Amino acid sequence: MDKIKKRFTLLNAVVEAMIKQPETIKYPFAAMELPEGFRGAIVFDPDKCSGCGLCVRDCPAEALHINKKSREEYTLLHYPARCAYCGQCEDSCRHGAISHSNKLVGATTHKDDWVLVFKDSKASQE
Amino acid sequence: MDKISIPIGPQHPLLKEPLSMMVDISGEKVLGGSLRLGYVHRGIERLAQQRTYVQNIHLIERICGICSHVHTTTYCYAVEALLGIEIPPRAQYIRALMCELERIHSHLLWLGILAKHIGLDTIFMHTWHDREMVLDIMEEVSGGRISHAANQIGGVRFDLDEEKGEMIRKILIKLHSQVEGLLDVIESEPAAIARTKGVAPISPDLIKAYGVVGPIARASGVDVDMRRDASLPPYDQLEVKVITHSDGDAWARTFVRVEETRVSLNLCETIIREMPRGDVVVHAPRRVPEGEVIIRSEAPRGELFYYLRSDGSDKPARLKVRTPTLAALSLLPVQLSEINVADIPVVLAGVDLCIACADR
Amino acid sequence: MFRSLFHLLVFPGFLFLVISGLTFEWLDRKFLARFQRRVGPPWYQPLADLIKLFSKEDLLPKNANDFLATLLPLISLSSVLTAGLYVPIAGYTPFSFEGDLIVIIFLMSVPTLAYYLAGIISLGIYSVLGGGRSLLQFFSYEVPLLIALSGPAILGRSWSVSTIMETQGRLGPFIIFQPLGFVLAVVGLIGKLKRDPFDIPKATSEVVGGSLTEFSGAKLGFWNLVMDIQAVVGIFLLIDLYFGWIKMSHPILAIAIFVIECLILILVLSGTSAIFARLRIDQLAGLGWRILVPLALLQIGFVILMGV
Ligand code: SF4
Ligand code: SF4
Repeated sequence: MDKIKKRFTLLNAVVEAMIKQPETIKYPFAAMELPEGFRGAIVFDPDKCSGCGLCVRDCPAEALHINKKSREEYTLLHYPARCAYCGQCEDSCRHGAISHSNKLVGATTHKDDWVLVFKDSKASQE
Repeated sequence: MDKISIPIGPQHPLLKEPLSMMVDISGEKVLGGSLRLGYVHRGIERLAQQRTYVQNIHLIERICGICSHVHTTTYCYAVEALLGIEIPPRAQYIRALMCELERIHSHLLWLGILAKHIGLDTIFMHTWHDREMVLDIMEEVSGGRISHAANQIGGVRFDLDEEKGEMIRKILIKLHSQVEGLLDVIESEPAAIARTKGVAPISPDLIKAYGVVGPIARASGVDVDMRRDASLPPYDQLEVKVITHSDGDAWARTFVRVEETRVSLNLCETIIREMPRGDVVVHAPRRVPEGEVIIRSEAPRGELFYYLRSDGSDKPARLKVRTPTLAALSLLPVQLSEINVADIPVVLAGVDLCIACADR
Repeated sequence: MFRSLFHLLVFPGFLFLVISGLTFEWLDRKFLARFQRRVGPPWYQPLADLIKLFSKEDLLPKNANDFLATLLPLISLSSVLTAGLYVPIAGYTPFSFEGDLIVIIFLMSVPTLAYYLAGIISLGIYSVLGGGRSLLQFFSYEVPLLIALSGPAILGRSWSVSTIMETQGRLGPFIIFQPLGFVLAVVGLIGKLKRDPFDIPKATSEVVGGSLTEFSGAKLGFWNLVMDIQAVVGIFLLIDLYFGWIKMSHPILAIAIFVIECLILILVLSGTSAIFARLRIDQLAGLGWRILVPLALLQIGFVILMGV
């Protein structure tokens, strides 16, 4: 009896699948839900950044770059196409200036030309 | 009939990752085969020597796309052993939880691939759908489907609250019934049994001679499981049921893996229930004192071996990774004889290829 | 003159068969997708695939015989189209004659042989393997299929499909007398169409694309069309031979019932391919000769006893 029941497991599953709605998400026509903690595009808060460069030191993909002239005068660059979205910078920053949002990131054909200027201290002072 | 050689790979519908095989056949009989590796060699061990310990976590995570977490876990335990720090018990449990989830999704993925190779596409679709539930859990708790980035040296990145634990438990219960169904199918579907029973059996002696580990070894009756044998925390406090089978053929390999999925599901529930409270991370210094260490753990495909040597700087002096697939691959040419052409996919699937792991 | 041209080109000829072939492919893919919890393709997908294939570059290995490679799909296409002319559709058959069942069966076998030849001449390792397999498979399913199909003919005392249908109008559908024969015929049809679980000659994981590995462009498009039309002709034939009792006064009702029967048969075909794994070639030969042939003979014996 048990054997016969087992024999029909697959048939059952197939019939069930036929009756139920299909599971495909028709992205991009239907919304795709990303959880709260998803590691997506990086958001940056220039006011909190102190220019310590810890995030740059720990970034495994060399996606962050800092040009430092002095303590106050520096630019912090981010290359989204190089970034591995690993979350290390968020972890390393002691001031909470850098973090992940749950937004998806676009794509590019020129990896190195896509630069975001996170902070240009000269520009912000002027 | 004459002997002809058919190339399988580097690109072939059978393979998801590049691997090159020349298989000599005569009619429908396979006479033998040879293997070429190295198509996805990325020099990760060398790269790891040029990066800091912190950066290496994310490099190591990219050795494999399926068992990424167990790689970083083993690496982190190795670094922590050199540093002489012990991570909080809660962090250990979270690491183990992720490892078990990973084992579940890896085995489900594998079962789907086997089913696809023997023409049972429905099982392929259904298991991969079920696997998606596991990936959803992992995405929810860690923020990434494949690269979880869950580990940091000294602990884990995130904590689980009650709500998430409850969510995971609900999904696991659903998965439980699905896996029962899969077990029913592999035990009763006549064509699937005919395709796998008695195909390419491996004797325990051969397993030992080639140093094969993991589910393949257990399917041949060799009782090794690093979760129990290496007793890495927190597995020393958990009861791990090791599944073995004596047949050693393709069917036994299927059976062992599906049963293991069930064991892992139970283990996940135990881990969530017994998870101790407390911190999830302790502070770890950046410089690692001189020394060397070996850590072994159980990846979904078998024993994972990490050797780490430090010269006192913030970069490792040598990192050696030994992945389970390499040994299994060396056994492949031996298996590729005295079988049918139609059995090649079954044999290949039985190895549970992870070329990216093997080549690094 | 004009009438027969209409029959040849529109109904039940070329246009109708092509459209129903594409519809079959869509339904099959859709059903399979739903069995597997997927959405499945939209209705125009098979047509779009066909147009895409026809507009693609046509490549063949250097030493392959281009003439034969072009000829073979065309021969297969014309033979399945001709077979389609003789199969009554909802009881309507313009070209019926005594013995058309044999002609249909013969014409339906032509594509398999052409498929084998296509594998041999296209000179790929996988295509040669696939071709050899298709021939081996041919010997395994064709005999039980033939024996099973001769059941209705014996009971109807005719080799003409329309006469058999008339007999069914008097006696009731033959499925009642030969359920086993019907099952065997469906199994044989699955083998003929190289569908899962008998898709051995074109098993992707074993022989890549089978005989058609090296084909591309319009030739591959023709081959796909051949497979689709072969499938619908086979389905129509089985419906006629085993469910052909409806002698409806109202043509609309007859057509409706015919369509429903076809849909059910397609559902059965898709379902079988969804829940069975592919067999090995030696297992298929064993199944064909050790199980299917004796069963078919049993059925025939029963039918002969009944007829006496
Ligand atoms: S997420 Fe990782 S790779 Fe991206 S910028 Fe931060 S540390 Fe670098
Ligand atoms: S983002 Fe944080 S870690 Fe990076 S430079 Fe600014 S303060 Fe330092």
